[in-house]
Amino acid sequence: MDFLFAQLINGLVYGMLLFLMAAGLSLIFGLMNVVSLAHGSFFMLGAFLGLAAFQATHSFWAALVLAPLPTLVLGIIMELLFMRPLYRRGHLDQVLLTFGFTFVFFDAVKSIWGSDIRSLPTPEALQGVVHIAGGVFSDYRLFLIGLGVSLAILFWLFLERSRLGAMVRAGVDDSTMAAGLGANIPALFTGVFAVGVGLAGLGGVAAGPVLGLYPGMDADILIPSFIVIVIGGMGSLRGAFLGSLLIGEADTFGKAYVPSMALFLIYLVMAVVLLVRPQGLFGIKHTGAAAAPVSAPLRTGAPPAQIRVAGVVVLAAMLLYPFLVAGYPRTLIAEIYIFGIFAMSLDVLLGYTGLMSLGHGAFFGLGAYAVVILGSFFGLNAWLGVAAGVLVAAFGAVVVGFFCVRAIGVTFLMLTLAFSQLIYSVALKWRDVTGGSDGIGIPGKPSFFGWDLSDSLVMYYMTLIFFVLCYWSLRRLINSPLGHVFIGVRENEPRMQAIGYRTRAYKLLSFTIGGTVAGFAGGLYAIFNGFISPDAIYWSASGDILIMVMLGGAGTLIGPVFGAGIFLLMKNLVSSYSEHWMFIIGSIFIACVLFFPGGIWGTVRQFELRQLWLKRRPA
Amino acid sequence: MSVLRTERLCRSFGNLIVTSDVNLTVEDGERHVIIGPNGAGKTSLINQIGGQLAPSSGRIFVKEVDITSWPPDRVCRMGVARTFQRNNLFQKLSVIENLRLAVQARRGNPLNFFTPVKRLRDLIGRAEAVMRQVHLDGDGGRLVRNLSYGEQRQLEVGIALAGEPDLLLLDEPTSGMSPAETGRMIELIAGLPRSLSILMIEHDMKVVFSLADRITVLYYGEVLATGTAAEIQANDRVREVYLGVAH
Repeated sequence: MDFLFAQLINGLVYGMLLFLMAAGLSLIFGLMNVVSLAHGSFFMLGAFLGLAAFQATHSFWAALVLAPLPTLVLGIIMELLFMRPLYRRGHLDQVLLTFGFTFVFFDAVKSIWGSDIRSLPTPEALQGVVHIAGGVFSDYRLFLIGLGVSLAILFWLFLERSRLGAMVRAGVDDSTMAAGLGANIPALFTGVFAVGVGLAGLGGVAAGPVLGLYPGMDADILIPSFIVIVIGGMGSLRGAFLGSLLIGEADTFGKAYVPSMALFLIYLVMAVVLLVRPQGLFGIKHTGAAAAPVSAPLRTGAPPAQIRVAGVVVLAAMLLYPFLVAGYPRTLIAEIYIFGIFAMSLDVLLGYTGLMSLGHGAFFGLGAYAVVILGSFFGLNAWLGVAAGVLVAAFGAVVVGFFCVRAIGVTFLMLTLAFSQLIYSVALKWRDVTGGSDGIGIPGKPSFFGWDLSDSLVMYYMTLIFFVLCYWSLRRLINSPLGHVFIGVRENEPRMQAIGYRTRAYKLLSFTIGGTVAGFAGGLYAIFNGFISPDAIYWSASGDILIMVMLGGAGTLIGPVFGAGIFLLMKNLVSSYSEHWMFIIGSIFIACVLFFPGGIWGTVRQFELRQLWLKRRPA
Repeated sequence: MSVLRTERLCRSFGNLIVTSDVNLTVEDGERHVIIGPNGAGKTSLINQIGGQLAPSSGRIFVKEVDITSWPPDRVCRMGVARTFQRNNLFQKLSVIENLRLAVQARRGNPLNFFTPVKRLRDLIGRAEAVMRQVHLDGDGGRLVRNLSYGEQRQLEVGIALAGEPDLLLLDEPTSGMSPAETGRMIELIAGLPRSLSILMIEHDMKVVFSLADRITVLYYGEVLATGTAAEIQANDRVREVYLGVAH
């Protein structure tokens, strides 16, 4: 009984910390239609700034009051300078922008404070304990509950009773209408964004003595917060509060009673709620169509001669390359081919169908784990393992896609994220089979039609052959009637419905094709790498692939391959002489979203279209 | 046989009733025009027939099949095509591709994932025929966003025709058009084969009286009167609430 009660209190504490995150996330979404992926980063920044303030003042209370302020200022700067120029584009472009910032902030925190786990001491006044109903509770935990509840009440009073709060509520309801009635919407956006970020920073400091401080705490709090607002209903403060309590308790009780199943439990709660009420417990059903991220313009005719010539030259270079170098440079390019296939598979849904998935790594993981597990437990040939992995990935994509394509836009993104984390947690927790966080390897490299794959030359050509094969097949797909249906869905889903297409079925098909090809890439990677660990399917791995696609140019097939190449070259080359490769790639990505919305290949395509237009124009 | 019949159709948004007990019939081959002041519930009615909006109560029959609350794609496959009051096109695709997508939904195999669309001569040929029908010949390669507003309006009708419907729902096809463009649009609609039934919303009375076999007047969601042009012009209540205001 005591244990139960203690868990109840602990769940409440965690729930309150989640609420400090979710309240801001939810209101920012309700008002601006943007899910800020950098919200966890502000939580982390707040915590570390709190540490700095504590070291300077030796007072926890000073840290609690001071640290949220610079966090808030950073939030305002980010909103004003970076997000505001993007308001006229799709909301998903802003989500991408916030994703770029997670890299920058992560790198900044890591280089300033290092990667060790730090802790904020509990304030002296709250080091005691209280006895309630036979249980012992630390004063600090009770203080956190009090803080959470009083902030929730304050926030509620502000929204319901103040004039400004009424404007925010009006803006959440219909921002165009609210602007027409005299609300200063841009200022409101900045204000709500700043308040949300400030709360996240405050949450970070308050969580310091309980959860500890480390780079990576940003994602650890962000993902449960997402689940909270998906369950509670986006844009609803009440939903954020109750959702936080629900997830806080579910997670705490799960960890206490069924430790191996704890991670599933919260995803299970989410899946059930979404099946019964897709808009969340208190959410309003958003009927507006989602705006797809910017895709490169389509080519209307045949590619110009220069591009064809360049293609032949590049293909020749790819064939000759392994004769010019040996060892690591060969392996690096082979890895780029595999990630090129992976990136193209995401582009089928992201660039061509307009579905922005942040969980595509899961299918890659299914393919890779199938090869390794079947190989090491049943001695199955790795190529048969690849075939099995493709089937498993296809099946996984059908199941996950079935739930996800019911949602649009940002909700779709969060659902794919949650499902991929579910698969990640299976890989992490099912130790007997997957080797847990240590990962698992295959007994030996298979041969490729009699050739030995431990030879880097054979490995290079094997990946090249499959890369060219995948590129060619996906190109056929994109140019086929089915591919054009996908493009139609991306461009105008309601009209596609009106002319007789079951768009949801086509979205599921696109999701499945993308997942299947990703599974194939994963299988190849398992053979290439000989080893797979859960890190390869963590949500940030899905994020990396998303960056590759956007950097290279969504909506073009070859662009994402360039994106994969640049990303992996940066990761492998820049990281060898600078520790700040994440900062660099994050900044490049932010610049790309801001100034080259079609990515590299999209910019080339724009230029091409312009030339065409100049040529056609009568002199 | 009637191609479309609604039975006591009702729809409300909260306290606002946009469709109230509407019984409407479109006979085979008929040109039926709906008129009514702003906010009479004309577009809401079309949206309920097209499947974009679910009715609160009542039934809709197409060719005597109950299609109430069917999703838009299923309604479309019953042979009902519609245009939108505000151009609702594939802005970043070419004119021919806009039409080809609609042709393909009807005649092609959308699950074909291997043949390049350029080689599907019969689909393209059909799309080109529609292109000529809506006076957009020679514009096939242009991107929709580079078309003039009037041309986009023509394409809007073209996409609906490309699905080879039995019933065409036109939501103000001439809205926002210049007099010359309106003339061309009327000619286009008048020239459509009689095998095609048309239910059309229109504001321009000249257009209404020149095209309509029958007219239905909507007023605050209710059917005020249905009849031929002469009957409607002679109807006292219509004169009072509608024509009286307009003329």
